[in-house]
Amino acid sequence: MFINWALQEINLKIVYYGPGMSGKTTNLEYIHSRLDPSLTGELVTLKTKEDRTIFFDFMQIEVGQIKGKKPKFNLYTVPGQVYYASSRKIILNGVDGVVFVADSQKDRMEGNIETLLDLENNLMTMGYSLENYPWVIQYNKRDLPNTESIDILQKKLNFFNVPYFESVAIKGTGVFDTLKSIINLVVQHIQRQL
Amino acid sequence: MVQVKKLKDGSRQIILTAKQFDEITKVLSELAAKTKASTILLADISGQLITQRGNTDDINTAILSALAASDFAATSEMAKLVGEDAKFKLLFHEGEKRNVYLSNVGDNFFLVVVFDVSVTLGLVRIYTKKAIENLLTVFEESEAGEDASAILDQDFSSMLGDMLDESFK
Repeated sequence: MFINWALQEINLKIVYYGPGMSGKTTNLEYIHSRLDPSLTGELVTLKTKEDRTIFFDFMQIEVGQIKGKKPKFNLYTVPGQVYYASSRKIILNGVDGVVFVADSQKDRMEGNIETLLDLENNLMTMGYSLENYPWVIQYNKRDLPNTESIDILQKKLNFFNVPYFESVAIKGTGVFDTLKSIINLVVQHIQRQL
Repeated sequence: MVQVKKLKDGSRQIILTAKQFDEITKVLSELAAKTKASTILLADISGQLITQRGNTDDINTAILSALAASDFAATSEMAKLVGEDAKFKLLFHEGEKRNVYLSNVGDNFFLVVVFDVSVTLGLVRIYTKKAIENLLTVFEESEAGEDASAILDQDFSSMLGDMLDESFK
């Protein structure tokens, strides 16, 4: 978190984390396409030729003024592919909250678990733990055939019982609910820390 | 000065008072004048833009600082891989019209200086080094700033919730 009293700005950093192809960039693209242009900056995506995120996506959103203060949210995604581990660590620097975007398809369960452990490891090197950290889970791609039931996803991934959302990010279903939830959690978390 | 607070859970919180902000801005203005840099940014290593000087209308500086922070972080990893004990202190990108010079300011911040190729690198180096010393002095002055709890109260949360509902229709 960064507070600039001169400009009355409060800046928070939120990172979308998850396995490759789970829909992290799609979340940001949807938010960018639906928000009023006056509230959002450009969406930067660092992609390979094959449209895979190579480093991160970034976008800043604002929601106007609250009690004279301007809250700004910096949204980032990480590259999901396994071999970009060090990039993921870099993006987590100074993070205030995490959205874990899980792929609901049955054959992606292993990838979800592996990436969640990777997140836990990276948070631990920064001195945090998933147990008492502001994060939410988004079970994405609920419209596809062959998706795992929410029950099983919950059992395998949500062991700390954080808020979760079912989504179809490409159509926008669940995208704003997820974002709203993580922003609220981050603010509550900061209040508790003060 | 710039309070870099460690919260109970280990997370970092940076709070800048109006006075500190003015002093930092003064250092950057001076650097801009001396080097004729077109744009100067001070950002923190998480990619958060702190303040900017020079021509910032044509450049999305929020994005520039996010990219620069990653650039910095990526080269720090590179430094580790090639056996450097510390981070690389500075990065230089040479273009046809403009060059970009990045240098760390203590452990938590860095400067981005964008300047015309007609300006010599040596000049930028010298004045940037001086500016960094000045910034570090400003960073060290301790002054109790307002606390974040002054704004992030219950009222704030509920108003934020309403704003989000409004924006995310």
